[in-house]
Amino acid sequence: MATLITILYYFMVTFFSICFIYNFIKSKKWAEELLYLIVLLPFLLRLFRLK
Amino acid sequence: MNSTVKQRKWLFGLIFLVVFILAGISFYRSRHLPEPVVLGEGVTEVKRLSNYFSGIKGSINDARIYVLGQETDGGSVLILGGSHPEEPAGRLAAWIIIENTRMKAGRIFVIPTANPSASTSTRPGGAYPPDYSIKTSWGEQKFRQGDRWSNPLDQWPDPEVYIHYPSRQQLAYMDIRNQNRTWPGRPDGLMTEKTCYAMTQLIRQERIDLVIDLHEAELQYPVISTIVVHPKGQDLAALASMTISAEEGFDIGVEYSPEALRGLSHREIGDWTEAIPLLMETPEPFLDATRGKTDRNLLLTGQDEFVMKAGKHGLLFEKLDERGWPIDVRVGRHLSSIAVILKTWSELRPDRLIEAEEIPRYSEIVEKTIGFYLKNPAETPANRLFYE
Amino acid sequence: MSPTLSALLILLVMVAAYIAAQLFKLSTELSIFVAAVAGALAGGHWLPIRHLAEGAITYLDICLIFLTATLFMNLVREAGGVAFAVRSILRRFHHQKVVLFLLLVILLLIPGALTGAGSVTVLVTGSLVAIVLKYMGLPETKVAAIIFLIAGLSAAAPPVSLWAMMTAAGINMPYVGFFLPLLIPCLLGAVAVIFILGWKARPVDLQKALEEIPEPPEKMNWWRISLPFLVFLLLVIAGRIFPFSFPVLGLPLIFALTALTAYLASPVKLNIWKISLETTKQLLPLIGTLTCVGILVQIMTLTGVRGLIAVSVVTLPIAVVIASLFITLPVSEAVLMWGAAPVLGVPLVLLFNTRGLNPVIALAGMSIIWPLGDALPPTAIIGRLTVDVVGVKEPYSKFLKQCLIPGLIIIALGTLMVIFSKKLGFLAVF
Repeated sequence: MATLITILYYFMVTFFSICFIYNFIKSKKWAEELLYLIVLLPFLLRLFRLK
Repeated sequence: MNSTVKQRKWLFGLIFLVVFILAGISFYRSRHLPEPVVLGEGVTEVKRLSNYFSGIKGSINDARIYVLGQETDGGSVLILGGSHPEEPAGRLAAWIIIENTRMKAGRIFVIPTANPSASTSTRPGGAYPPDYSIKTSWGEQKFRQGDRWSNPLDQWPDPEVYIHYPSRQQLAYMDIRNQNRTWPGRPDGLMTEKTCYAMTQLIRQERIDLVIDLHEAELQYPVISTIVVHPKGQDLAALASMTISAEEGFDIGVEYSPEALRGLSHREIGDWTEAIPLLMETPEPFLDATRGKTDRNLLLTGQDEFVMKAGKHGLLFEKLDERGWPIDVRVGRHLSSIAVILKTWSELRPDRLIEAEEIPRYSEIVEKTIGFYLKNPAETPANRLFYE
Repeated sequence: MSPTLSALLILLVMVAAYIAAQLFKLSTELSIFVAAVAGALAGGHWLPIRHLAEGAITYLDICLIFLTATLFMNLVREAGGVAFAVRSILRRFHHQKVVLFLLLVILLLIPGALTGAGSVTVLVTGSLVAIVLKYMGLPETKVAAIIFLIAGLSAAAPPVSLWAMMTAAGINMPYVGFFLPLLIPCLLGAVAVIFILGWKARPVDLQKALEEIPEPPEKMNWWRISLPFLVFLLLVIAGRIFPFSFPVLGLPLIFALTALTAYLASPVKLNIWKISLETTKQLLPLIGTLTCVGILVQIMTLTGVRGLIAVSVVTLPIAVVIASLFITLPVSEAVLMWGAAPVLGVPLVLLFNTRGLNPVIALAGMSIIWPLGDALPPTAIIGRLTVDVVGVKEPYSKFLKQCLIPGLIIIALGTLMVIFSKKLGFLAVF
């Protein structure tokens, strides 16, 4: 069960990472784009099991 | 979307990718840094926690157990280093015992990395170095810095509040990954709880008499330079403390494990097994909240002006001057304390003798340094070489 | 150069970089990031990518809580649930101010008390309560102040108070004995806040109010609204009652399941992808701040600036320390958010302990003061969120002005708890 729950967390991280990337692509303000990438960094580090 | 915006996005994306890859490589390398352990003459067997509880098999926390001595009808002690890997003196003391100590009677079980998962991570916000090195005559040996809590890559998520088993005491949510809050453990719990359960099984199955859990503490923490013992071991700890103060060149106090503090080794092992648990704390200024620049130098020398300033205002529970608290001093204190505890135990319980040779003493470590006692892995046959 | 001078210079560089970034009209989040990078450069670390990335991940779990909780609330709103609930509450209690106020206090305290996050209160029940209060004739700034202050108290309220938990964990003190010392001041404070700020509230002009609130979908009913909240409560309570047989779900997954329930219970078809994109967009400043604050704390620790601040505070005379809690706690919260607990809370509680004060009561007292800092710049994270949720059109300073008097009462309450912590020790029973 614990493993299944952990997998669900990785799904959540994937889902929100996709949302950030999508918003980054659609955004037209440079400061907003930069912030999307800063916010994305921890999500991807977890998703790729690096941190 | 105009081309300037597109170009900007590509540029940002590229910079992001470089940062992500460089950070990722750094984290990956420190998580997988191999730490050589050279088996000393005294090591007769290397086991794993899964030998005692199969539920931990395949997990990163299936820690190695180095067994010294063969006499199964004598006394036995379990030495835990790295319950909190961010407290390096405990791990290094365990390393030195594995690489140097021989048994005359009884057995020593050493787990140098009692929470392997926690040794693979550093604390967000803590600015810890990824690793540190100990100088030896044959070069430098590198160790992972580690954290207090198991790595979230191995145990995720945390509950909204951690309820300790079996006391139901509420603890901070992240402490469900703190190996010194999850004793006695439970077989169907999360990884850190399972690790403690496996160690509890080891203690029961091997009829362990003493458990010595090696820690370090910040100087602003009242439990420092002391042996914390379960009430059933108070005579042993009191006698050992007196002997250490008289013969070993430093003072160490004794405190009794309070009943209200649940999940700690010095309480739960005593309550749930036959063994007497003793937890030892040496001073580590690197852990203090008032510490200055956080780097390897502070970790290994224990010299810090800000913590000293706190001391001048009476805020510390241990003295700190310009000499700091070098790692040799901290490891030496642990080793001398272990030697005296074993000697005192053998005097009190001649029917359960634990007699060890070549546990370097405080004065020897301070004089020769830790590096003197670390063996060269390059000159070691493969069957006597392990990696933590 | 001495460590003190070195850390002081780095701190000055960080402050200068922050101010410069603000002058260049950068957002608070990016200004914090710039200050952190400047601090690393000034400390001779160049661009310590490992540390920047490690700091960034500090609050990942809290970011996930915010994302899932907000997604849940947005789904309820899109389904017409909020409009339905507001209309029903207004119809039933519009003429009973005291009962209505007490109900609203409870509604506001529950989410934060359970999750430890004031923002969850703002997002889950804050928007709903705001509408009711606005129809009682209270100006938007006052409504925002009520919701912000009670949300802060809800975060400090038991069972989960992150400041108390993180500080207790930092000094290896069990998180036990905090229930009453946290509950009593939080309840008293919340009731005081709503009655002080809501004193001039008048009975709702029901007809006018109902005309202005959008009509919910025809099939919307109490069951459809309550179901996700029930799921949330059930999952949290099950984890508490059966901690050894119920799986550890964690708050983000609990909120995700709650959101899923809200989606399934909606009488109208919801576009979950579109709402998720909106949610991440809406929360960008909040999670951006959390991420950048994590980076800032990491760099401050790396360079010794954190130590300089901590040691400067704890070496002041104890009377000065207590007398300055009203400024040090909110300001540390404003800069570091929950990071204030390990940075400042740990040395403060150790100081109080060595001076013979009761650490549990003193920490509980501090815990109710800390959240006030969430309205202050540079982060002002919960304050800005509240103002957004309530839809305040006036300047932010007017909202702050409304918070002042009840905020001072909360500070006085917390400070008195620290001073008389020894005498109040009897409260630390469970």
